Amino acid sequence: MFISLDWISDFVDLSGLDPAVIADRLTMATAEVEGFETIHRFVNGPLVGKIIEAEKITSGEKTLTRCVVDCGNRTYPTVCGAANAALGKTVVFAPAGTTLGDKKIESTTMAGHPSEGILCSAAELGLSAWHEILFELPTDVPAGTPLSDLIPETDTLIEIDNKSLTHRPDLWGHYGFARELSAIFGRPLKELPLYDVDQFGSLPLYPVKIEDANCLCYSALRFGVTAGSVNIPSPVVMQRRLHALGQRTYNLLVDLTNYVSLELGQPTHAFDADTVSGICVAPMGKEGTFVTLDSVERKMIPEDMMICDDRPDGTRVPVAIAGIMGGLATEVTDTTTRIVLESANFTALRIRQTAQRLDLRTDASQRYEKSQPPANVKVATRRILRLLADSGTVFHVESRFSMAGDLADSIRTITLPPGRLNALAGIDYSNDTVTSILRSIGFQADFDADGVLTVGVPPFRSAKDISIPEDIVEEVMRLYGFDNVPPVMPAMPMRPLFVEKSIRMEHKARRLLAAAYGFCEVHNYGWFNDIFLKKIGYEPGPTLTLANPAAQPESRLRITLIPNLLALVPKNRPLMDAFRCFELGRVYLPKGDIDDKTPCQDSADKCLELPRLAGVSYLASGRTPEEHYLEIKAAIEDLGALYARDTAPIEFAAGRGEPTPWQREGEWVEIRQEGKVIGALGVAGKELLSALIPEGGMIVWFELALDQFRGDLYPEVHLRDLPRFPGSWQDFSLVWPLADGYEKLAAKLDQFSDPLLLSREFLTSYKGKGMEPGMASYSFRFLIGAKDHTLSGEEIDGFHNKMLGFLKDAGIAIR
Amino acid sequence: MQEIKERLERDLANAKSAADVEQIRVQYLGRKGCITTLAKGTDFSRFSPEEKKQFGIRLNQLKNFATEAIQKASQQAGAAAPKKKASALDLTAPGAGRRLGALHPITLTQMELEDIFQGMGFSVLAGPEVESEYFCFEALNIPHDHPARDMQDTFWLKNNLILRTHTSANQVRTLLRFGAPIRAVFPGRCFRYEAVDPSHENTFYQCEGLVVDENISVANLIAVMKTLLSEVFRRDVKVRLRPGFFPFVEPGFELDLNCLLCGGKGCSTCGDGWIELIPCGLVHPEVLRHGGIDPAKYSGFAFGIGLTRLAMMKYGIRDIRTLNAGDLRFNKQFAVL
Repeated sequence: MFISLDWISDFVDLSGLDPAVIADRLTMATAEVEGFETIHRFVNGPLVGKIIEAEKITSGEKTLTRCVVDCGNRTYPTVCGAANAALGKTVVFAPAGTTLGDKKIESTTMAGHPSEGILCSAAELGLSAWHEILFELPTDVPAGTPLSDLIPETDTLIEIDNKSLTHRPDLWGHYGFARELSAIFGRPLKELPLYDVDQFGSLPLYPVKIEDANCLCYSALRFGVTAGSVNIPSPVVMQRRLHALGQRTYNLLVDLTNYVSLELGQPTHAFDADTVSGICVAPMGKEGTFVTLDSVERKMIPEDMMICDDRPDGTRVPVAIAGIMGGLATEVTDTTTRIVLESANFTALRIRQTAQRLDLRTDASQRYEKSQPPANVKVATRRILRLLADSGTVFHVESRFSMAGDLADSIRTITLPPGRLNALAGIDYSNDTVTSILRSIGFQADFDADGVLTVGVPPFRSAKDISIPEDIVEEVMRLYGFDNVPPVMPAMPMRPLFVEKSIRMEHKARRLLAAAYGFCEVHNYGWFNDIFLKKIGYEPGPTLTLANPAAQPESRLRITLIPNLLALVPKNRPLMDAFRCFELGRVYLPKGDIDDKTPCQDSADKCLELPRLAGVSYLASGRTPEEHYLEIKAAIEDLGALYARDTAPIEFAAGRGEPTPWQREGEWVEIRQEGKVIGALGVAGKELLSALIPEGGMIVWFELALDQFRGDLYPEVHLRDLPRFPGSWQDFSLVWPLADGYEKLAAKLDQFSDPLLLSREFLTSYKGKGMEPGMASYSFRFLIGAKDHTLSGEEIDGFHNKMLGFLKDAGIAIR
Repeated sequence: MQEIKERLERDLANAKSAADVEQIRVQYLGRKGCITTLAKGTDFSRFSPEEKKQFGIRLNQLKNFATEAIQKASQQAGAAAPKKKASALDLTAPGAGRRLGALHPITLTQMELEDIFQGMGFSVLAGPEVESEYFCFEALNIPHDHPARDMQDTFWLKNNLILRTHTSANQVRTLLRFGAPIRAVFPGRCFRYEAVDPSHENTFYQCEGLVVDENISVANLIAVMKTLLSEVFRRDVKVRLRPGFFPFVEPGFELDLNCLLCGGKGCSTCGDGWIELIPCGLVHPEVLRHGGIDPAKYSGFAFGIGLTRLAMMKYGIRDIRTLNAGDLRFNKQFAVL
């Protein structure tokens, strides 16, 4: 939003203040300033002129108007292309020799007629971008008046970040900013000139009813005018400001409502009183259409709030969309002689919802969305009548100020216990500082003898903005200046820190995968992509689903991290021939019916949100799939060891079935801990590989349910005493059917026992050349020793022979 | 062999440089040198065992003589003797084997913040990403008619849950879980329903902080924020507070950091010398009440650090989308654990 310093200057003297200083102080005390610019208008040279002759002429395709303009001291002939050039109008004439910006005006001949200057549009005068028609002035401005007498050459516009005004509806008008600047710079604030409407208390009521709770307050006042008297150009001071703020000007009545909206933040609307018998604010009630002022037919729904013509025959006809835009049928025209002036207040949500649905964000709806204080309803009516009277327009008020709803214009009281303000601020303000700051922005403020601070909050500050003691702290602090607050560290007793173990364990897992196994951490989105799921043939079953996804195929929340990781393989494969990546993130499992809309306080009632650690490893070539798999398996084994090596070691068991496309029978294992499944690990099967990377290569994947993972940040280690006497070791390479696998062989070897046996290590396996088909060689190292003596040669040989005997009995050949 | 010996002596006498000597070494003792090949080129079948033995002895003598003579000549030529062993060991080649992987830049930034906060006595906590309207809005005093509650800004699930729009959603959960006093931060993933472009993401990270105790003041908030930022940027920083509006704090502030690049003069990064960094404020009494805390006894402050923003600042990441894109050429660069 822009504010004009020219306008503000009506209420507070800004002389001698650099705009940069104003901008900076506003940012620090009130609202974020995004920037400021000084506009330059071309007012030196142009004169006010009256068109005293006007004749339509044609030049080729164009229709032009040949005019004679009376500029007081002399008249000028000119030819003009604008449609509103007509006899009797008061306009601006730039005689030859005038410079308008970089355009020098010269005498020419147009269509055979002399033209000794030009009639100007607002754009030509540098007032705004409107260039279609001539800039028109009220007829009471004397011809020959230099434009510079009416419009100052410069104005400074300060741009305020709308977001920083969310809670300050009072700042949606210039007067609110004037009040702030008056407080910031300690300069007096001039009262807003208002018209007295209470004098009409004996006039009849204008019928007003509210039948929609979203209307907080509705007022109407009817007055009569001479036909056409409000359809004249508005005073130059209003026009120049409206133009500076990018508003188009239309006629006195329309400009007045726009002007007051920009001044106070309170929108108003005028109806032709002869088209409306009485007002009832009510919901639309049914589907229907409504034609707004801009001649567009709008589709309305039952909840939309409408201003209706409450007719004597009991019918109700919508005449405006409440808070957004008026209707075409009740528009004030140049034949209108009676006007109903509406000033009302509506709930922000209803206005926003309708405006959003219709994609019709108007100046009015934008202001109502900020919850304007209802007290301004009456102020706006009084201000419009004041300006109308000041413009010299004659009007006759026909009704009293008629209102339904609550104006909420009483002063609200907030009490702060002694010392409360200073304790929250962390600084010792004197009582005088506090009261003078609060009074400077229109608050009442008094300390009693006990130090209790009583604050009277003026009605122009909305209750949403100021309602609790903390709000008063903010008002005082921002105007005193936050820079003046000395930093003080809080003093808190030392005590053990609560540690969320899960977060630390997650970090440990991340570091292990990255440091020891070369994994690279990635972040994927929290939802699946249906197109990719289809590509790999995965149907996740019930998932939580977004009502408004970022893209249509991305509505289902992930229940596993694997698919989004798999999607990275084809993406990165052309760039590198080997990579490992992992993600540590949440999955979201639905609880109950996924469409159940009943409200719940804790999301855990409807969603089981779990931390998962998953990874994929891609390898173009160079290893067998088994070697590749075993490398990743080592990472999982170490992860287990990291948390619970000796207390709850993890185990692997053949995965059964094919629950997902990446789990193929015989190609994946369950990861278990204490008998419970805590994850899975496997090799991508042929189908998945051909869907993902038809060019070749292999993929190993894993996914761990971190919440199921038992263990400690610093787990126990079951320490074994070191042998005091030297021992020995013996290696055996054993031939074993490949189909039976390592695990069965190890189980067999577990049956061997000997008092000298300390431990057994697996060294390597071999299944290449020289082996019988279907057989593999597994090498083990047996560490032996005794507690109380060094082993003798006989003992070592004895162990060897015992092992050979065991193997022979077990039918295991030695390689 | 005598002939070879004499020729070698002659050659060495003529050698002028270390390079010449090295060339001679190759000629005589290299893999294809004449002494080396002498044995191969001799037909031993004609030799008697005694002759073979003699030949061997003489060959060894010749080798020893040649080695010594060359070494001496080489030293005289001012060069070190050829180091056969060293040439087999290239100490300059890069290390080999499995190398470090990488952590995500968000993780790294989060870990660093966690370290700093833990050092200042803050607990690090986690909270859910799928949230209820209650914790994300209602408990935070965000009224029903607030724009954040519209479809415009928030991802809604069909069961009326939402993806949390800010880590502030964890404030009341934390108060209910721990009560007062509390000092905690909760980093985590947040979501906003908005179009993705180089500076906007629908999925991003924040780190929320919350301190509640008796007599917590704005002055405390300023001190903690200043200290935190000095730790993050490893130097003294200047900050400023200005009014900002967030329904769950009162008073509410925007905390700006004096630009570290230009020292506050104004530059292309900051514009006017200040970088808007941390929205913060005193915890709204309504929020304390939702958390079961008596606002008459306790007060507190809360702040929200844009973790994604901070990571982008720290690592000079220009396009926010790269963070979630999974292009490993990007991710692999963060091989710092």
